Amino acid sequence: MLSYDYVKCNDLRLACQELEEGEQVYLLAGGTDLIVGMRGGKFSAKTLVDIKDVPELKVLEEDDRGITVGAAVTLNEAVVFAPIRDNVPILAEGCHSVGSYSIRNRATMAGNICNASPAADTAAPLYCLDALVNIKSSEGSRSMPIKDFFAGPGKTALNKGELVQSILIPRPYPEGKGVYLKASRTGSVDLATVGVAVQRWGEEVKIAIGAVAATPVRAFSVEKAINEKGEKNYADAARLVHDDISPITDLRGSREYRYHMVEVLVRRGLEQTLGV
Amino acid sequence: MADLKTVGTSVPRKDAIEKVTGSAEFIEDRYMGPMLYAKMKKSTVAHGKIKNIDTTRALKHPGVKAVLTGKEYPNRIGLYLIDRTFLAVDKVRFWGEPVAVVAAVTEKAAAEAVDLIEVEYEELPGVFDPREGMKPDAPIIHEDLANYEIVPIFYPEKGTNIANHFKVRKGDIDKGFAEADKIIERDYYVPQMQHVPIETHKAAVQWSLDGKLTVWSTAQSPNVVRQLLAKSLDMPMHKIRVISSYIGGGFGCKAGASIEGLLVPIAQKFPGHIVRIVFNREEDMQGTFTRQALYSKLKTGVKKDGRITALQYEMVWDGGAYTEYGVNIVRAAGYSSTGAYDIPNVKTDSYCVYTNNSIGGPVRGFGMCEMQWGIERQLEEIARELGMDPLEVRLINGMKKGSTTASGQVIHDLDYDKCLKVVADKIGWGKKEESRDGKYRGKGIAGLVKCPAQPSNAASSAMIRINEDGTAHVMIGATEMGQGMLTAISQIASEALHIPVDKIDIKVPDTDFTPYEWQSVGSRITYTCGTSVKRAAEDALGQIYRVAADLLETPQEDLSFDGKKVFSAKNPDLTATIREVADSCKKCTGEGIAGPIIGRGSFVPTNMTNLDPETGQGNPGLFYCFGATGVEVEVDPETGVVKILQLACSIDAGKAVNPQLCTAQLHGGTIMGLSTALYEEVRFDKGIMLNRNFTDYKIATIDNTPHMDSFIVETPETNGPYGARGIGEQPMIGVAPAIANAVSDALGVDFNTFPLTPERVWQAIKNKK
Ligand SMILES: Cc1cc2nc3c(=O)[nH]c(=O)nc-3n(C[C@H](O)[C@H](O)[C@H](O)COP(=O)(O)OP(=O)(O)OC[C@H]3O[C@@H](n4cnc5c(N)ncnc54)[C@H](O)[C@@H]3O)c2cc1C
Repeated sequence: MLSYDYVKCNDLRLACQELEEGEQVYLLAGGTDLIVGMRGGKFSAKTLVDIKDVPELKVLEEDDRGITVGAAVTLNEAVVFAPIRDNVPILAEGCHSVGSYSIRNRATMAGNICNASPAADTAAPLYCLDALVNIKSSEGSRSMPIKDFFAGPGKTALNKGELVQSILIPRPYPEGKGVYLKASRTGSVDLATVGVAVQRWGEEVKIAIGAVAATPVRAFSVEKAINEKGEKNYADAARLVHDDISPITDLRGSREYRYHMVEVLVRRGLEQTLGV
Repeated sequence: MADLKTVGTSVPRKDAIEKVTGSAEFIEDRYMGPMLYAKMKKSTVAHGKIKNIDTTRALKHPGVKAVLTGKEYPNRIGLYLIDRTFLAVDKVRFWGEPVAVVAAVTEKAAAEAVDLIEVEYEELPGVFDPREGMKPDAPIIHEDLANYEIVPIFYPEKGTNIANHFKVRKGDIDKGFAEADKIIERDYYVPQMQHVPIETHKAAVQWSLDGKLTVWSTAQSPNVVRQLLAKSLDMPMHKIRVISSYIGGGFGCKAGASIEGLLVPIAQKFPGHIVRIVFNREEDMQGTFTRQALYSKLKTGVKKDGRITALQYEMVWDGGAYTEYGVNIVRAAGYSSTGAYDIPNVKTDSYCVYTNNSIGGPVRGFGMCEMQWGIERQLEEIARELGMDPLEVRLINGMKKGSTTASGQVIHDLDYDKCLKVVADKIGWGKKEESRDGKYRGKGIAGLVKCPAQPSNAASSAMIRINEDGTAHVMIGATEMGQGMLTAISQIASEALHIPVDKIDIKVPDTDFTPYEWQSVGSRITYTCGTSVKRAAEDALGQIYRVAADLLETPQEDLSFDGKKVFSAKNPDLTATIREVADSCKKCTGEGIAGPIIGRGSFVPTNMTNLDPETGQGNPGLFYCFGATGVEVEVDPETGVVKILQLACSIDAGKAVNPQLCTAQLHGGTIMGLSTALYEEVRFDKGIMLNRNFTDYKIATIDNTPHMDSFIVETPETNGPYGARGIGEQPMIGVAPAIANAVSDALGVDFNTFPLTPERVWQAIKNKK
């Protein structure tokens, strides 16, 4: 049985204060990870601070720096935001692959990365876009690259009292196509067995992979073969991905199948973004 | 069947408006009175002795009213084999078995108190594979098996884990194999699966101050709950009242009695209170019936021309920790063990084996999905060995009028050929599609058959009350769990009674007021309850004619009833409204003729027999329902993902009482079959259920649901009401083998098990290389 105090915040400062002062305080965005996790005994929260209506966190805008996705913006809102669709469709694909429409009505991108699952579907696209995480606390603000934000399964680089204010997809945007390819057991309302993001940047690519290590990872071996050595045989390049990942066996798939699927999806991603 | 007015039309569901508006009442919707909430303490070991249960801290917890352990309530219960207690006594036999129950004034206090109960176990070696469990040196799970009470149509083996060994010996198996040109032999495995109804198990119990027990339950059979409680509590039946709400899906998991008894001893301590338990999803997945896993060996002898001469089937079922119900699934699979095929020489051994896995029990199909998986896969292998068309092999061996089943029962009313041919035609059988974009295409077909697996004396009864204004109430004991029973049954009543269906009211059962029904299981209600309702309607109609004849002073034979008035065919002046007849009819002189009209009808099968203990020969089937599934798939050989391009299903319904509801059952069953074929599998690690909720127990969603073509074949069932037979479970049975046959066709690799998850398909392709 869940039992906790519920605090509704309409003010970013207050939210930071609650986080800093309380014990076992959790931020509640969509709650699609949090409530499920609490019910399953993963978190024991004394207080939930609801940030859904904090105005500073509802920001969804594009400016000189890039696209800012506030922490209370839902995935459904992000998916249809024109600057995302037009400039970084790979991120829209990642967002769209999360759960179901009704889940995405609540779920947020910030919640997705703060939950820090290596299988988070928005993470791999964000890695390929060199996204920045804007962090806020009573002390002030700081930013860090997404790759530093993920610290381990369920672990982020946030310190006590800090929250994610927004995620920035910086300019310049990539030139060229990007795809997010997700393998799952049913292909519908299911977590990724593996997720592969391949983003073309002019003549180069960036590749990131989810659910194959403690955090999402970049496939540097493959990137190097393509970007530096000019490898044109994508099957050969994709094979190198085995060096970049260390998947495990769980209920969603075996280690062996994950190795195989990553290789297949990286090759397909290369074909789809760089052309066969 | 000329001139049917209501039967055969798609009248809207009786419960449609309630369900669509959300006003339909389920157990949790009811305010019943002062409540106590129950929660279970569950075993943390799969097999062990209970050394000690310390409830002191739990009892002291604020809000807690009672804590009960098995010692205080040791009576056994069970439908066929009385092997189960509501709470573990002395020993636990599966992980998650309830060892204590707490009742408190809030659900939260109950849950907290559960954590304060300390249980000490001495762990015992477990049995997790029934094949191991059959070995002489296996740990024994029920030491007392030999002393358990049992319905004498089951055959436990003393001193072992075998709770039932069912045998079929038909013809001469040695001769059959000697005649064969080829013998095909293979092992198959079907894993456990779960029903996942949208509503979990729920029950509430009240002990009144004058000693009457009232039970609200999601059970599929209020009468069986009453019967089992009466027995285990040693109470007379008139002191027990079981009330059924609407049920949010059953699929077998709510058959028999499951959780109601857990609450009774608490209710007895707090008369007037209502003690309620609501299972959460994990409790439902792990603590209630699971479809039994099946390990089987199938050997078939076949002539060059495709004719099967002999079939030898060994089935080892994972009965789980208690097999009170499972023993009958094992029996049903045994006596049906040739599937939809007429095979002269058969030797079957079907074993129900105790293990320390979750309790096995009924699931849509009742053993047929598991058993016919082997049959329908092996037919594919036979066809390949002989270089024949798999459809042809099915048509050659398929049952026809006058065929005999494995138990030697002669079948009359069927058109299995037609069932196969309509789906084959629909999917363009015989036309091989080329592979595209590196993906392979294949087609598969599978047949199916099932009869209700019910005791030969499983009965139904019905009452029809005619109101003063000529409207009517139909009273029955069947439950409505989404299948549409209320609608189909009122159509049968309407047809026989001539009263329009919208003038007929029908409700879910309450054992204090509604007449006896065995169980809403086995796809039998339309037939059995339907027959009793038809008889009750005919009885009421007969009374209407008798009364009207008296009133009009004319012979009964001349009268007709059109739902509004009774009139004489010979003399148009002689007519009486139904009101005049039904409202305590009296003559113009004021002399009374008859009081209110009440029709009654009951049914018990007369065509079923016991089976010979050594040969399994006899008539176990009330009726046999045939059908088929045809599938076209596209497989991505790199990822193993199977895409369904075409899905066609057919069922010989005899007569579709309500074609729309019938089609809905075809769709629902087919999707459930598809879901097991591609996704569903309960995973255990030494008895611990690993995927107990929807994060990792995946079922098909609407995204995974392809377009379906369904065909209702109508070969009338001689003794069914208006020719109807039950079709609820059947559509599921052929889907898994049809899909596997199609994937095999696409890839040239074989599958002896399912689900065909992407990973399993990929693995199979890899192993072939
Ligand atoms: C049925 C279902 C299907 C799902 N399918 C997928 C899927 O396919 N792919 C996938 O990746 N995920 C999936 N999820 C998980 C989940 O929906 C996503 O991770 C979602 O993006 C989480 O967002 P949220 O807003 O609901 O987070 P919450 O549950 O509100 O929060 C998640 C965690 O982050 C913390 N948090 C939230 N906001 C902040 C912030 N601004 N600063 C610091 N900490 C914060 C919370 O305290 C909590 O610990 C699924 C969940 C469900 C229930």
